[in-house]
Amino acid sequence: MKKLRQEFSDTMVEVGSNDQDLVVMVGDISHGILKPYAEACPGRYFNIGICEPSIVNLACGLSKVGLNPVVHTIAPFITERSYEQIKLDFGYQNLSMNLITVGGSFDYAQLGCSHHCYTDVSLLAHLKRSVIVLPSSPIEFNKLFKDLYQQKTINYFRLTEYPHGVVFKEGEIELGKAIKVASGDDITIAALGPQLKNALIARESLQSFGISAEIIYYHSFKPFDSVTIKESVSKTKHLISLEELSAHDGLFNQCLHSIIGIPDIKVCQMAVKDFIRGYGSYEELCKSAGLSHEDVVENARKLLNR
Amino acid sequence: MNNELRLMITEMVKRSGEGHIPSSFSIVDIIEFLYRRVLKITPQTVNSDDRDYFILSKGHGCGALYSVLHKFKFLTDQDILDYSTSKGILGGHPDSTRVPGAEASTGSLGHGFPTAVGVALGLKIKKKSNRVFALLGDGECHEGTIWESANISANQKLGNLCAIVDWNESAAQLMPVDDLPGKWKSFGWDVAIIDGHSQSELESFFSNLDFDIDSKPKVLLAKNIKGKGVSITEGHGAWHHKIPNDEEFEIMKRELSL
Repeated sequence: MKKLRQEFSDTMVEVGSNDQDLVVMVGDISHGILKPYAEACPGRYFNIGICEPSIVNLACGLSKVGLNPVVHTIAPFITERSYEQIKLDFGYQNLSMNLITVGGSFDYAQLGCSHHCYTDVSLLAHLKRSVIVLPSSPIEFNKLFKDLYQQKTINYFRLTEYPHGVVFKEGEIELGKAIKVASGDDITIAALGPQLKNALIARESLQSFGISAEIIYYHSFKPFDSVTIKESVSKTKHLISLEELSAHDGLFNQCLHSIIGIPDIKVCQMAVKDFIRGYGSYEELCKSAGLSHEDVVENARKLLNR
Repeated sequence: MNNELRLMITEMVKRSGEGHIPSSFSIVDIIEFLYRRVLKITPQTVNSDDRDYFILSKGHGCGALYSVLHKFKFLTDQDILDYSTSKGILGGHPDSTRVPGAEASTGSLGHGFPTAVGVALGLKIKKKSNRVFALLGDGECHEGTIWESANISANQKLGNLCAIVDWNESAAQLMPVDDLPGKWKSFGWDVAIIDGHSQSELESFFSNLDFDIDSKPKVLLAKNIKGKGVSITEGHGAWHHKIPNDEEFEIMKRELSL
């Protein structure tokens, strides 16, 4: 499967070639992969440098003169470090931009905690006009970007380095709409972004225990599809939410808000409960955070007592 | 000079109990000059694609901006009377979504100037000839984003950009190594120093300014006096965010009415 970052580049060429207002600014990353865009759209590509808060301010200025800025760099630096710029420049001044990050959660697993980021989605969600998506296959990014980038909103696209591997049809991808990837009767597993992969592996294992899991996939965090999760949990009465975001504010909270009022349900939150300090592969850090497919199986069996 | 504007600022602050008088007095002569002699903008063209941009990066000096916007009919008498109340559009820092002529919402220092850099870059991308002015504080130059964006401006050759620093030596109270000319020059900017309260020096500087799109960005270091115009507010110290009591208010009115 094509890397999300490659799809980002390809989509910028596709969109930027037809839209003279699209301007891409990067914080000294992805300049090699974006070369085709720089060549296709001369004068509208800037490797600004390593100065993330200022890049957000600059994007504000571009937006003020009617351009459509795309800002791309590493998640913790452009969200957590630059949050005041995002909040004041775009949240309060009713301007729009497209923020496209890599390195969310522990994608940069071997680089350590300075490059990890669990609160970006939560921070952006506080802004009333924000739209937040975590496309985890190439077609999802291409479709969602083209649907979103001209909306007068603050658009956050969090690109994973670890696509879930499922190939969706373009027609299946709709902003703010979850996808029921597999049907089941005993338990609902809601998976956000790349964690769909672990959810699907776990579903296979659970079948050997006679457990039928329904998989609900979220690429859109905001707007959030409350209807699909409510329908599913109303049927299964059991829910696991699976995400790589901070346990203090993420998919689990959204799901809980959605299922308030359904009687006799049992829930389990699988999220990042404490910041990870160590190093390793992405899979190893999933394990250390309690987010492996084995953990999903164990939690599902506990929840169902089977 | 501009005593009527300083009086308006004083009355706004006294009436509402909010405002930064000395910071506003320090820059009001420059802002008045810009709107009267330099900027291509009127109340009728305030949203025009062809207007010049002025961004007050040191947002707490907004009393000066409001008084000038009122003088040139961007704001009404009622806007001024409603300053810092729930009825009005004017507050202790400017809100670009409410105030005609306030190009950016500022207040958190280090935001307005980089935004102005973005506006200048955007206009350059669009091959437009509008000019961009940003007024920042010397204390604001403690912020890292000022130097990040100064660096970007020089490297992107933003010849359509002019920064003005209110060099009233507030910054030097904390950091006496205050070589602003050397710093801006080393970042690749054309640097000029004038008396920011002198009409003739302002006239001379701005009438000779070259806005060639690919030239160096320009910075005017304006040697200003914080609290300029009233004996009790001039200089540094308690007056930064102080509201005049009745006795002080009478002194200020008297001196500004001379």
